Amino acid sequence: MKLPLAIIGAILLAALIGPALLPWSHDAIDWGAIRAAPLSPGHLLGTDSVGRDLLARTLVGTRVTLAVAVAAALVALLIGVAWGATAGWVGGRVDEAMMRVVDALYALPFMFVVILLMVLFGRSILLVFIGIGVVEWLTMARVVRGQLMALKERPFVLAAEAAGARPFAIVARHLLPNVAGVAIAYLLLTVPQVVMIESFLSFLGLGVQEPLTSLGILVKEGADDMDVAAHALLLPGGVLVTILICLTIAGERLRDRFS
Amino acid sequence: MTAVYEVEKLVITIRGVTVARDVGFRIQQGECVALAGASGSGKSQCCLAPFGLSPGVASGSAWLLGKDLVGLEERRLRAIRGRDVGFVFQQPLTALTPHLTIGRQLSEAWQQAGAPRPTRAELAEALARVGLDRPGERLEQFPHRLSGGQRQRVMIAAAIAHRPKLLIADEPTTALDAAIRADILGLLSRLRAEEGLAMLLVSHDLAALADHADQVVVLNDGRVEESGDARTVMATPSRPYSRALIAASPRLDSPRAPLPPVGAPLIEARGIHVSFPRPGWRRGRVEAVAGADIHVAEGEALALVGGSGSGKSTLARAIARLGPIDRGDVRWRGRPLPARQAMPPAARRGIQPVFQDPVASLDPRWRVRDIIAEPLRHLRPELDGARRAARVAAALEEVGLDPALADRRPATLSGGQAQRVAIARALVSDPEMLLLDEATSALDVLVAGRVLDLLESLQRSRRLALLFITHDLAVARRLCHRIAVLDQGKIVEEGPAERLITAPAHAATRKLVAASH
Amino acid sequence: MGPLLLRRLLTALPTLAAVIILSFLLMRVAPGGPFDGERALDPATRAALMHAYGLDLPLPEQIGRYLWRLLHGDFGPSLVYRDFTVTDLVAQGLPVSLRLGGFALLLALILGIAMGLFAAARAGGRTDHALMLGATLLTALPTFVTGPVLVLLLGLWAGWLPVSGWGDGDPAHLALPVLALALPVAGAIAKLSRAGLATALGQDHVRTARARGLGPVTVLLRHALRPALVPVASYVGPAAAGLLTGAVVIETLFALPGLGRYFVQGALNRDYPLVLGVVILYAGLIILFNLIADLLYGWLDPRMRG
Repeated sequence: MKLPLAIIGAILLAALIGPALLPWSHDAIDWGAIRAAPLSPGHLLGTDSVGRDLLARTLVGTRVTLAVAVAAALVALLIGVAWGATAGWVGGRVDEAMMRVVDALYALPFMFVVILLMVLFGRSILLVFIGIGVVEWLTMARVVRGQLMALKERPFVLAAEAAGARPFAIVARHLLPNVAGVAIAYLLLTVPQVVMIESFLSFLGLGVQEPLTSLGILVKEGADDMDVAAHALLLPGGVLVTILICLTIAGERLRDRFS
Repeated sequence: MTAVYEVEKLVITIRGVTVARDVGFRIQQGECVALAGASGSGKSQCCLAPFGLSPGVASGSAWLLGKDLVGLEERRLRAIRGRDVGFVFQQPLTALTPHLTIGRQLSEAWQQAGAPRPTRAELAEALARVGLDRPGERLEQFPHRLSGGQRQRVMIAAAIAHRPKLLIADEPTTALDAAIRADILGLLSRLRAEEGLAMLLVSHDLAALADHADQVVVLNDGRVEESGDARTVMATPSRPYSRALIAASPRLDSPRAPLPPVGAPLIEARGIHVSFPRPGWRRGRVEAVAGADIHVAEGEALALVGGSGSGKSTLARAIARLGPIDRGDVRWRGRPLPARQAMPPAARRGIQPVFQDPVASLDPRWRVRDIIAEPLRHLRPELDGARRAARVAAALEEVGLDPALADRRPATLSGGQAQRVAIARALVSDPEMLLLDEATSALDVLVAGRVLDLLESLQRSRRLALLFITHDLAVARRLCHRIAVLDQGKIVEEGPAERLITAPAHAATRKLVAASH
Repeated sequence: MGPLLLRRLLTALPTLAAVIILSFLLMRVAPGGPFDGERALDPATRAALMHAYGLDLPLPEQIGRYLWRLLHGDFGPSLVYRDFTVTDLVAQGLPVSLRLGGFALLLALILGIAMGLFAAARAGGRTDHALMLGATLLTALPTFVTGPVLVLLLGLWAGWLPVSGWGDGDPAHLALPVLALALPVAGAIAKLSRAGLATALGQDHVRTARARGLGPVTVLLRHALRPALVPVASYVGPAAAGLLTGAVVIETLFALPGLGRYFVQGALNRDYPLVLGVVILYAGLIILFNLIADLLYGWLDPRMRG
């Protein structure tokens, strides 16, 4: 788990401080170097079809992609834990009703909801990704509820009741700390999910808008241009896949440790 | 006469750890040899490892029909298992493949030694032989339709279907209800006589072995502690370990110490009804407890006895306000006990529970000291930190635990230690009654015996009332003044322990008594 | 078996109704409308159009009318693709999407279960670790990266396969999109079946089968595989529905005339009946596939028949 997290850390660090160290900003056009090959002077990784520095664009795109992903995953964590914990603890009809809502949302074509959210909040990327978080909390809610239901049946919860602990204290001091590990693992697994959605929407032209960029936009631009400049596809695609793989591996190992 | 199976200087290691050493025994045709010992004594390893059915690696020798199994490659062992040996395992509930019918699994075992495909009549006949009713119907059924005892009969039928020379039964009755254990052991003995089988029987219950085994080998920590004629070892064990093992499973006729005196009425429950929603989608509710009355006095111990699903835990939790209740009147020292959600700390202090599964009873993220201090925090808020710590230390000492354990987390404790921590938590707020919900049945025999000793001494030193839930009459008799027998949610018989055991009136009681002899 | 099916259908109907109503409302809350194109219409024409399509009625009445027509199998007209009904558009797109998704699902199942079986047969060994790492990599591959990269490698550079277009369903045209679509699903199935097999192989009944003298292959295939596929069955239901209808990127990337493209265009243009039609189709497919999964459970593990 250390290696994938270290790679993520390195990418994050590069995305945060890298752009400030480069002579070109991500949207500056170098008229003298259109479609420059990698390793050309001034452009370590070359330029795109309108002469923008690919390294700068990739770093900024990574930053945007990761920022929105983390924001959306945190929203998903908050809603998911609150919803799942309430359903799991209260149980009975409340649980049934709350889980029926989750089932119905699962049955909604996910694309449809996301696209509607795009239309609703299209002006602000922050809102867009809060919107994605609103869609992505379903799995978290199911997992947290399942964990809570299982824990609730454990005799230590009954023992705490016998020890005079009030329901709130039982949830806060016994149940949630025991769910935390799994919730964090699923948080790690939600981040790549959201990265994928964001890139996928940007790829379709529905997500992040120019002049801001993201890995999805870069992949799209690279794909459009791949017959003449394959590196414009492979570079952002490679960074994206690396992020997804590292987060997935780290999240899965963490999840396995808690289950 | 040569032995069917003979083990000499057997040593078994698992990942470099030696779990058995220098074990030896021989089994003649038609003879039964029993391996006995507490869990962890290496008895299962000794019977499974030579056949390649456990991760253990065997050295020494294990002669089956003149051929040494030790060092044989898996392919050869497989052929031997399919032809010469039959196995019966501990968990009948999970030992059969869930998606294959009984008939399919039986014929698979039948054909494994090269026999032609059996006819339906032959298969039904094999099931009838092991005492299964309606054998023809059973062939099409999946295992989950059968009860534990019926599944164990199917396991036995499959184990002897290919007419092996040796039958190995690894704790064949441990997971079964007490009432059917004797039937299964009887069936094994009958088949052994009819088929002239050599049998290797593994069990931790020495007493039960006496009637069914010719020879017994007592194992302790991987070594042979004592071996010899089964009846002789039972009657006059020569080693302290064997004596402890025999004493750990008390019999209905073992002597018992006089019980402490009984005081004024403490808790009285009348007309208790508890029901649960029917599982699945069907409407309606299932009655788990249907109108039960019980009462316990100061210093008195009442045993709630019954088979699994009889409603004994549900009843006890309902009156202790730790579980759901539909209706019924519960009084504590003559005053009505508040409802579950409204229990004030002062009322909670009176009854404290100890549950069956010691590890699941402790929050895995808490330290032992915080676990034991939890009742004090809520029920005795007037105590300051220092007094609380002193009481936690005293409670640890009272249950016989090293004070150094206070900083450990539950995962690092053994089952016996964890159960002692649970008892310490129950005692720390000075309750008047303990609710013991199968408190010793998940523990290993010897550990369970010592926990029972602890409970007995606490009962006397603290004048504790006990509500003792168990399926074991002999254990109930040792600690309890009275016994109440539950069957399908109703108390079918209740009375002084000795009277109930010597002269049981109800059929359910008679069945329990018969199972404990 | 019969009662179970009936029960499932009875619980599916309210879910379906909820999905329809929720989608309907969500569509209407979003700003913009079907006739707000680049070229503004004069108010009179706009009002006439709104009236013609019944969009000026109160919302509850619109929903009621829609549901009533739906009961008669009429999904309504498309608002953007004039002269086409939603049924026409779905009838054009669905076969393409079904073919694409069906092949992808088949490939994912074969590849995934095979990987899971091989890994479980070599449990703990190097093959196992390599296969499972491979499965994780596959699940982390987004189709919009694998798609172009596969086109680049196998299409443009190697020149083995055509890079885009439907080619009237020609298998060579389908190969790349199916592969890109199947890989992440195959990875997930591989992991689920491997985990299921690990659980199944550790169970008592497998020891019983070994004690009976059965060989490792028989034990794996006859005694361990079926219960191990239960988690795969519960994953495949929703995944299949997603593959059949949600291959938007792949359809865009390879210029395939499937449902996904109509769906995105419909949502962007507020083509309410078209989007709702696709949503209902999708929700219906999810329900159908979950039903099939339920039936599969009973076969995989009879204990679940209740």
